[in-house]
Amino acid sequence: MNNDLALLSWTIFLPTAAAAVLGVGFRDENPNSIRAMRWFTAGVTFVTMILSFLIYQRFDPAQAGMQLVSVKSWIPSWNVEYRLGVDGISMPLILLTTVITFLSALASWSITRQVRGYMILFLLLETGMLGVFMALDFFLFYVFWEVMLLPMYFLIGIWGGPRREYAAIKFFLYTLAGGVLMLIAMLMFYFNSGNNFNLVELAEMARAGTVFSREMQIIAFVLLFIGFAIKLPSFPFHTWLPDAHVEAPTPISMILAGVLLKMGGYGILRIAMPLCPYGTQVAAYALVAIGAFSIIYGAFAALAQTDFKRLVAYSSVSHMGYVLIGMAVWKIGEGGELIGRDYWNMGINGAMFQMLAHGVSSAGMFFMVGVVYDRVHHRDLNQFGGLMQKMPLYSGFAIVLFFAGLGLPGLCGFIGEVFVVLSSWNYSPLLAIIAASGVILTAAYILWTIQRVYLGPEYRGPHPEALSEMNEREFSVAFTLSALAVVLGIVPNTMFRLMENTTDQLTRTMQQGYEATREEPAVELSLTQESPFPALPNR
Amino acid sequence: MSPEQFASTGAALKWLLGLAWLLPLAGFCIEVLGGYWTDRRSRAPAWLAVGCIGGGFVLSTIAFVTWGSATHWGAFAVVDDHHGDAHARGQSPDAAPAAVTGAQAPAAPAEHGHPHDGPPHGHDAAHASSPYAFALSGSFYNLATFGGLSIDIDYYIDSLTIVMFMMVTLIATCIHLFAMGYMSDELTDNYEDHEVHLPGGRHFHRPGRYYRFFSYLSLFCFAMLGLVLAGNIFQVFVFWELVGVCSYLLIGFYVERKSASTAANKAFVMNRVGDFGFLIGLMILWTWFGTFRFANTDPAQPGAPGLFQMVRDADGHIHEHGAGLDRAVVLNDGLGGAAVDAASGQPRSIPFWLLIAAGLGIFAGCIGKSAQFPLQTWLPDAMEGPTPVSALVHSATMVAAGVYLAGRFYPMFVPEVLLVIAYIGCITLFIGATIAIVVTDIKRVLAYSTISQLGYMMLALGVGGWFAGLFHLITHAFFKSLMFLASGSVIHGCHHVQDMQEMGGLRRKMPITAWAMLVGVIAIAGLAIPTPWMAIAFSGYHSKDAILATSLAFMSQNRQHFLLFLLPLATAGITAFYMFRLWFMTFSGKPRNQHVYDHAHESPWIMLGPLVILSVFAAVCAVGGEGGPLARMLFASEPTQAVAGAAVAGTVAVNLPGHALIHEYHTTAGIAALLAALTGAVLSYVFYGAGLVNPATIRSQLSGLHSFLIEKWEFDALYDAMFVRPVHVVARWAQGFDQKYLDGFLHATGRAVVWISKWDRKFDETVVDRAVNVVGDATYAAGASLRRLQTGRLRQYVMFIAFGVLGLFLLMFAFLPR
Repeated sequence: MNNDLALLSWTIFLPTAAAAVLGVGFRDENPNSIRAMRWFTAGVTFVTMILSFLIYQRFDPAQAGMQLVSVKSWIPSWNVEYRLGVDGISMPLILLTTVITFLSALASWSITRQVRGYMILFLLLETGMLGVFMALDFFLFYVFWEVMLLPMYFLIGIWGGPRREYAAIKFFLYTLAGGVLMLIAMLMFYFNSGNNFNLVELAEMARAGTVFSREMQIIAFVLLFIGFAIKLPSFPFHTWLPDAHVEAPTPISMILAGVLLKMGGYGILRIAMPLCPYGTQVAAYALVAIGAFSIIYGAFAALAQTDFKRLVAYSSVSHMGYVLIGMAVWKIGEGGELIGRDYWNMGINGAMFQMLAHGVSSAGMFFMVGVVYDRVHHRDLNQFGGLMQKMPLYSGFAIVLFFAGLGLPGLCGFIGEVFVVLSSWNYSPLLAIIAASGVILTAAYILWTIQRVYLGPEYRGPHPEALSEMNEREFSVAFTLSALAVVLGIVPNTMFRLMENTTDQLTRTMQQGYEATREEPAVELSLTQESPFPALPNR
Repeated sequence: MSPEQFASTGAALKWLLGLAWLLPLAGFCIEVLGGYWTDRRSRAPAWLAVGCIGGGFVLSTIAFVTWGSATHWGAFAVVDDHHGDAHARGQSPDAAPAAVTGAQAPAAPAEHGHPHDGPPHGHDAAHASSPYAFALSGSFYNLATFGGLSIDIDYYIDSLTIVMFMMVTLIATCIHLFAMGYMSDELTDNYEDHEVHLPGGRHFHRPGRYYRFFSYLSLFCFAMLGLVLAGNIFQVFVFWELVGVCSYLLIGFYVERKSASTAANKAFVMNRVGDFGFLIGLMILWTWFGTFRFANTDPAQPGAPGLFQMVRDADGHIHEHGAGLDRAVVLNDGLGGAAVDAASGQPRSIPFWLLIAAGLGIFAGCIGKSAQFPLQTWLPDAMEGPTPVSALVHSATMVAAGVYLAGRFYPMFVPEVLLVIAYIGCITLFIGATIAIVVTDIKRVLAYSTISQLGYMMLALGVGGWFAGLFHLITHAFFKSLMFLASGSVIHGCHHVQDMQEMGGLRRKMPITAWAMLVGVIAIAGLAIPTPWMAIAFSGYHSKDAILATSLAFMSQNRQHFLLFLLPLATAGITAFYMFRLWFMTFSGKPRNQHVYDHAHESPWIMLGPLVILSVFAAVCAVGGEGGPLARMLFASEPTQAVAGAAVAGTVAVNLPGHALIHEYHTTAGIAALLAALTGAVLSYVFYGAGLVNPATIRSQLSGLHSFLIEKWEFDALYDAMFVRPVHVVARWAQGFDQKYLDGFLHATGRAVVWISKWDRKFDETVVDRAVNVVGDATYAAGASLRRLQTGRLRQYVMFIAFGVLGLFLLMFAFLPR
């Protein structure tokens, strides 16, 4: 057990320690020192990735519950603990985080100003992200959530493009607003559960159905959902995303799209759904509808863009819609009984897979945009063309990754999208058809982009002389992402194997929680009243 | 087959065909890196590609032999002189109409199983006992499992699979060889593209892309074979998209040509429109059946039925109950009983209208892929790709995949769906043929002809002629790929001139090509020399004859659908007309452009060899007609209900003809088709061969019709106005909504906050600060006034202390209680 605590804690805090070393050990910013700092950061993220592989090695996919749980007392007077653990929902996302962070570190060579500060913040960001995915204590989760926010603000606000301040503040305010809503919900659970922050125990109380009243669950779910939907992002909380992406430097865009957006989906699966099964069921139709609308809306908006990065950003809005749909296809009968558990399981698994697939493909797309931006310093879609002639290898990988985003079978994007869509007919045929119609628009905007950027006889923009083929470092990033896209697309079971037991348990407990809560007599809502320990319903 | 035999044969076929399927993928992975392991002038990647697909053909042939011996050549043995006149004439007339006139209520399905009283066709007997006697199904690996739901990569091998494998690999091998010659001008480090004009009047120069072409071809072969091998409909969808993307890559092979990349986009997006329907079909099937497998024929796994087995019983009947919207189809459990829902214990069923919707959805995919009305417009544009691509992808294999799927999925189609298929096919074949009359680009004539012929196949499937449709698929693949290659040879010989108005008289310059093309033209036109016992004809006659016989039989039972016979019949004449027009304009008469003629030359043997091979197959692949080996192979896979025919009194009353009835109309249809074809050919000779009538005068008299046809029935303009432009408008709306309203709201909120904080500041400064300042000022004033006391003189302080102490003592004495 102690071993687990050390492993998980090292994985989370190794980047922090390395950031401290960077702050102390590397002083002057001469070229040698800059190179050393880059390789040092890449090395640290690589070691973190190896540590996450060790976690994966200890992880047993046959078990549904939390594994490698490690607890230390932290603030006993508030009943706050330093509690970490991994299950089938967080395990794939931890792997995704460390891999994408490592690749982004390799993509960080394009940062030339204030490298030390950048690298320190970059590493702190990784700590925040890994902490979010491993925390099992609501308070700890909230702390990591906010920890991740600050480095991001500075990374966009200092190293970003021309409108970086605007984008950074927009990002910060949006996410902070979500954080505040989450804080309110957290306190609701804390005071209604007898001062408990333990997410596993809170989920257990929700399953028992006697602790959290129906009204409270609905309010808490709405608060949590808005908080996480901002991060996801889904319509209408998505407008921070295009700005943040356009202004952020390439590696930060990769992390933003590859990992940060997944926190929204993870938060819904880890907190909003298990803690408020009743609220989830009440809101399910709205969730699926918002998801379906996001798909179409994002695709249409992407079609209208002329900025390459903005287009990819809107494609993220579109793709994350599938995540929302997959999670919420929870169909019940008139008696509250679950109809088609397997389809809901499939939906959740598909949503999870879509998060991983989008993590790979969108990070890849942003990287590909970054490669060409580093060379010609513009992103106007109407001023490209002919890159296939000048940079054939780069274009080949780019087309693979864009097709992964398009949802071509054999590449990762297909599995997530199609599994979600297949599972959704059981819930609502109408919304399923709307979601499925996204395939046409997606094909349209991606192919049109490929045509405008890569095909054609000649490059039409400024700095044609700068268009040189990728170097080895860029090649290795592009190759890794493309290989991941292919492997996930061909043998998706590598990931489904990890998740299926946990998601199966999740649907079971939620259904139990829903049925139990449904039976409960109505109670008055209380936001502040403290209840005696052990938890009792507020009646 | 016993379970052991099934297992061993299944394993053997799985690996043989699996290897044939994966070889091109391995080839692709090596060839696509051709720029690294060899130079641009090397033919090594091409030889590798040929080796892979040729190896695939060898493996398919071995698989064919394995399958045949494992089934004791049952597929060939069962069809005994099916086509014998005495047999058919003697038995059918009294028995067959009873099966198809609709006299029986659908509620008494048992009678359907015995349409003939006399000796049944051998394979009928085989079907009745076990419809999947010659089919082997199994699984490669699992993609995902969720409780009782499982999605796998499966295989489903029956005689149709094997025929398709052999056809695809054989034609692909020929086309690969042809392409080695056709694409040889890519074998250079500096290819000059005359089609691309750069600013300043320069031509576009680039390195040759020989290896890339062959890598794409290999990838396509992999996807196409996967589609054929697929054992479930989801897997078909996977490879459906993959052949689509290969088609995209090959159409857009000349990436620097704007027209090519636009055509590629158009092809992909229009296919996606069809795939949207496909996806809806998949969703319905998945939700209501919980499986994607076609059929589970493994005797070791009884009671795990596939889709076909759930919908139809062993005799090919659908069991249904209710009426109107409550009409539902009872699902079978594959053991002869009804499937039972595990949770509720109720029998499982699917609403009838959903089964129709699912069928139409899947068929929507076929519409896109096979370029049927209303999604036919992408195929002519797809001719932007190199000619071998047109031959392989856009005539012989990929576009036929839609027909293949409709045939493969036939048991899932209820008669309502079949009627839609028939009408779609009928409209398509007419549109395609009419446009082909006026087009002058040699490849586009063939493209419209392909659309039209695919329409024939769909029509055949729709009117109940499962066999006729797939028969035509195979024969068409041979003669159409032959004609495309011949046209490629012409284009190559004329240095990339494609307009027939620049050609003429080329017969003298390229005789072998001309003769090969003539074989194809005769085959597609369906010309034959009738003799009392059998017609001497090329392959196309047999298959087109089968289609027209089926549709005539269909019309005889469903008079209101007379168009389904008359349009195809008329189109048979049109087909002969435009095909001979092509041949006359290209090869006969006087050269229209002396320059082109002078420089024209016959192609090298690497291109002519495949032409000769394909000519032989185009001529003889259907030898023996419906009694021949190819037909017998196909009959062995025919779904049971297609054999017997069916009478349906549902929302639309349709009577599907069975074999016996079709046979009855065979001779009539054959004579009518031959007459139509002869008329077309003679007219063509009058116009273009002998020059007795000048086509230009006709054209000027019918200029309105002519321009309507030249503009392809105005479909492109219509779709542009109906879909393309509105989508861009909505896209701008979405973008504007984000900027104006969502961000606008945000910015307004931001401004409001700033405004509030300004007031806050003012409040702070005027109210709060003033209060604080007042207190502060008062304190200050008090302090200042007290300052005077601080004099710094010790004596004074001592005096203060003394008075103070005195005062305290006085207070103490005064107030303290005693």
